[in-house]
Amino acid sequence: MGEVILTMKDIDKSFPGVHALDHVDLEVRKGEVLALMGENGAGKSTLMKVLTGIYKKDSGTITYEGKEVEFANTKEAQDAGIVIVHQELNMLGHLTVAQNIFIGREFKKGIRIDDKKMNDEARKLFQRLNIDIDPRETMSRLTVGKQQMCEIAKAISHDAKVIVFDEPSAALTETEIQELFKIIRDLREKNMGIVYISHRMDEIKVITDRVTVMRDGTYVGTLITKDSTKDDIINMMVGRVIYEDPKTQSMVPKDAPVVLKVENLNAGKMVQDVSFELHKGEILGFSGLMGAGRTETARALFGADPIDSGNIYINGSKVTINNPQDAVKNGIGYLSEDRKRYGIVVQKTVAENTTMATLENYMSGIFIDKKKEKEVAEKYVESLATKTPDVDQLVVNLSGGNQQKVVIAKWLTRDCDILIFDEPTRGIDVGAKSEIYKLMNKLAADGKAIIMISSEMTEILRMSDRIVVMCEGRKTGELDISEATQENIMNLATREIE
Amino acid sequence: MANNTTKTAGRNRSVIDRLGGQKFIVLLVVIALFIFFCALSPNFRKYTTFLSILDYSYYITLMAIGVAFPLMTAGVDLSIGTGLICYSLVGGYLITFQGWPTWAGILASIVFGMAIGVLNGCLVALMDLPPFLATLCTCMITRGLGSIIVGRVGISWPAAGTEGGWFRSIFKIQMNGMNIPIGFLWIIIIVIIMTFVLNHTKIGRYTLAIGSNKEATRLSGVNVKFYHIFAYVISGFFAGLAAISYSAIFATVQPGSGAGFELEAIGGAIIGGVSMSGGAGSITGTLAGVFVICLLKTGLPFIGLAANWQQIITGLVLIAAVLVDILKRKKDQA
Amino acid sequence: MEKIKQNPFVKKVGFNRVVLCFVLILLYGFFCAMTQGEFAGISRILSALNYAYFLGFLSLGVTFVIATGGIDFSIGPVMFCCALVSGFSLITYGVPMPLVMVISILVGLCFGIFNGYLVAYWSVPSFITSMASMNIAKGLASVFTKTQSVSWPQSSAEGGWYRYLVKMGDIPIGLFIFLVVAVVCAIILNKTKMGRYILSLGSNKEAVRLSGVNVKKWEMTAYIICGVLVGIGALFYVSAYTTVQPGYGDQYNNEAIAGCVMGGTSMAGGLASISGTVIGVFIIALLQEGILALGFSKDYQLIITGIIVIVAVFSDVVARRRKN
Repeated sequence: MGEVILTMKDIDKSFPGVHALDHVDLEVRKGEVLALMGENGAGKSTLMKVLTGIYKKDSGTITYEGKEVEFANTKEAQDAGIVIVHQELNMLGHLTVAQNIFIGREFKKGIRIDDKKMNDEARKLFQRLNIDIDPRETMSRLTVGKQQMCEIAKAISHDAKVIVFDEPSAALTETEIQELFKIIRDLREKNMGIVYISHRMDEIKVITDRVTVMRDGTYVGTLITKDSTKDDIINMMVGRVIYEDPKTQSMVPKDAPVVLKVENLNAGKMVQDVSFELHKGEILGFSGLMGAGRTETARALFGADPIDSGNIYINGSKVTINNPQDAVKNGIGYLSEDRKRYGIVVQKTVAENTTMATLENYMSGIFIDKKKEKEVAEKYVESLATKTPDVDQLVVNLSGGNQQKVVIAKWLTRDCDILIFDEPTRGIDVGAKSEIYKLMNKLAADGKAIIMISSEMTEILRMSDRIVVMCEGRKTGELDISEATQENIMNLATREIE
Repeated sequence: MANNTTKTAGRNRSVIDRLGGQKFIVLLVVIALFIFFCALSPNFRKYTTFLSILDYSYYITLMAIGVAFPLMTAGVDLSIGTGLICYSLVGGYLITFQGWPTWAGILASIVFGMAIGVLNGCLVALMDLPPFLATLCTCMITRGLGSIIVGRVGISWPAAGTEGGWFRSIFKIQMNGMNIPIGFLWIIIIVIIMTFVLNHTKIGRYTLAIGSNKEATRLSGVNVKFYHIFAYVISGFFAGLAAISYSAIFATVQPGSGAGFELEAIGGAIIGGVSMSGGAGSITGTLAGVFVICLLKTGLPFIGLAANWQQIITGLVLIAAVLVDILKRKKDQA
Repeated sequence: MEKIKQNPFVKKVGFNRVVLCFVLILLYGFFCAMTQGEFAGISRILSALNYAYFLGFLSLGVTFVIATGGIDFSIGPVMFCCALVSGFSLITYGVPMPLVMVISILVGLCFGIFNGYLVAYWSVPSFITSMASMNIAKGLASVFTKTQSVSWPQSSAEGGWYRYLVKMGDIPIGLFIFLVVAVVCAIILNKTKMGRYILSLGSNKEAVRLSGVNVKKWEMTAYIICGVLVGIGALFYVSAYTTVQPGYGDQYNNEAIAGCVMGGTSMAGGLASISGTVIGVFIIALLQEGILALGFSKDYQLIITGIIVIVAVFSDVVARRRKN
């Protein structure tokens, strides 16, 4: 193992209302792959954003190649040799692969851009990485996996000394991941320092040398990968148990009626032949890796995206869902993973958001009965224990957990029997999480049927009565909670489909 | 192996795509329209008609090439129409009332155009105003300015044959009593130059990159603000050039006119395949698109429709072109 | 400054609107002073009001469209199209006056449906539909009237009673009608389902759609309201000025939008104020009358409104930046 190339010490960063990083340390050495692990929201991405100058740190020091540094932007970090391969791709879809790789530093011949040389250089780069991509191809025509490879090639072409991979494998297929690992090993040989952010335990074991674990914005510790077991790492990640215990058996009575039945649902590439049943009072967990098609299934079911084929039965009778209005009429409510974009109207008040789906119930003649509206909003603020000064508060001023409660209230006023929770606790702090969990359990006990999409294994295991696992747009398995374990879920989620 | 990828990609593309995609279809439309008008009206088949089509095409083409750049950044420039008149008025005023030599007047028009371009660029790129609103304001401002500077009277640039009238022969020369539209030659040259600029220089590359994904371009260390402004400067520069061609073709320039020209130019660019959502487009396509508009404009009176129908039809054609663009994007996403 | 902002009265009315009222009064004082009091006369005020009425209807209409996050700058030419088509049918075909008024409103309605349908159902960018319908309106008016201007009857002539819409003697009836319509608009925007959904979808269309609301319908409604108001505006235009010429009207787009954005309606959608729009329109009308009174041409008005829009929209952009 080589010398230390990068040290981050005592890094502290707060956002309004959130202490995102609480005196975090990190040390990267030459010629090693360091895993950075932690649950969603542990602060990994924030730490990397501080490193590359996207966020400004409140305090702490960054030492790189023996000198203290502070980068003003990603460009400066890049020039110094620190690059990030982002989770979300930063690509220019209309341009070619080579044009993407060399954007901002084109080769020139006089005033002319030397596209030929750029293509040649890109081709050399790909050869070195052993990737099969034509540099002249338009970026948007490539698969997501190939696009990711281009991002990596771009990073390497910067003459990088430290490369950060932010969940690179999320969108890749198994073979592509193997290719990625080959590239990473290769880079390690070349004495680069590599930070590998991932949730996937098996990958960590295979590819990394050391593991640094973060939890709730704090540094927990660092382990040597080959000397530690999966359980060691998990223990550090989870640390304390704050929510209620995992379910060991289904809480749904055996004779509970089927509320929703989906048969051979097809919608685009990401939903292929999906069938499942949902019972009254049940929480049905949807597990799978990112890009498995869970959100797409939910959106198709809710009419947000068009359905290609398939049958949907609600309480035994067949229904047609062409748009969200149809879904709502049939008693389905959808809580999006991206609240800010799809859930709440930020410039409106708590009361106005609460009644968004049921406004016609609060009309007197053609006018909105604001008093009645306020009353019902207040009722739900109370029953969901939403923390807000009053219902006239703009939702934008509420915390993530309380915004989520407003969205839940919106569907409760509608008296929906089927609720789809898509990543219900994403971006919500730990304390508020357990409240949301309690609420979901209460809803189920009251006879609502819930579909819960979650990427957090612990959440799936704690909440679900039954679990549907998806992989690459297909349902790969269904487990009762009594037989579900992290391993067999992960197994189904990564299954190769022929 | 790399070869293999190209082949598959090649196979996925249709015949039309390989011939230049939308450009090719638009060219077919131009030819079809031409044949259509020729077949219906004997008068249309005359050389003078051909000349008047070209006369109209110069300033619209120049504006369209210019406005293609803001469009490709996912913006728009609505100030080019009234701007054209304003620049022409100012140039003509300097020549006829201030005694400036013609070349200086021409230069003044172009510089004024570029100045308004800089203003538009700053409003959009630095101050984050919505492009259509910012340029709608400069549209009004240039209209007012033109009238104020020349005092609400029509301006005539020097006539052909008189002193300083040489510039009119940039676009049309007399030879053996026949008018030769050499302006079209200049248009071809400009199209070639701007195609080069768009496809092989940083200016063009970054214009497309900004339209494709502005944030990603910024994170790649490109001076996004500069190139964003520059797209509007190009638009202003070409509005200036268009002002010269307009002054050369028409006897007088009336203050207060020019509203609506921008629609023809933007329509031409969009018909020619410049995407409203930015990131894609071509200069040759724009040229073909402009000719669809010009043919409709000159051809409709020949088949007995009042000239005003042309305004209505241009509006409808624009909507149709945008709808095609929207449908194409939808297909790409699927 | 902070103290003024915290004042309960100012808070209730809105700081922005209080400032606008001050601007209005200052502007009035300025023009009175510059013209040695000539501006204070009743005729100037009535003339400014004449301008405020039709512009006010355009501005109220476009407020609804901007509230959805869209834009409509076909309103000026469409207003002219309404006035020309209805006026032409009055003069040439002798259509009775009440029916003529209905025609004017119907023409506006049709353009509203056209714009709204393209924007809401076919997702054509609103400024493109505006551009197209601007040209269609101009072309249609020219084709219909054979490029002739149309003169509506004078007050004394038969059917001239329609001019009472703006004033009866020196009584500004138009002011009352305009204010009543403004109040109705404010009620629609703030108290009804329609207004709630228009504002909400302007703020976050996808979230409203996923609440099971028919966003397309409501988005189109905003354009239809705008079209109807433009049709009414056309009647007030001819009541004040009687003569309309085809091919014009685009200068009013900017002035109507200026009145709207000055009044605190956000170009980003979701935030609109009818009372702000009303004050904004009065400022624009006063400005145009004042510029004429000082002996400047209409062209200065174009430039000044252009600058006003830029400043108003920029301050909205800055305010939003600060919030994020």
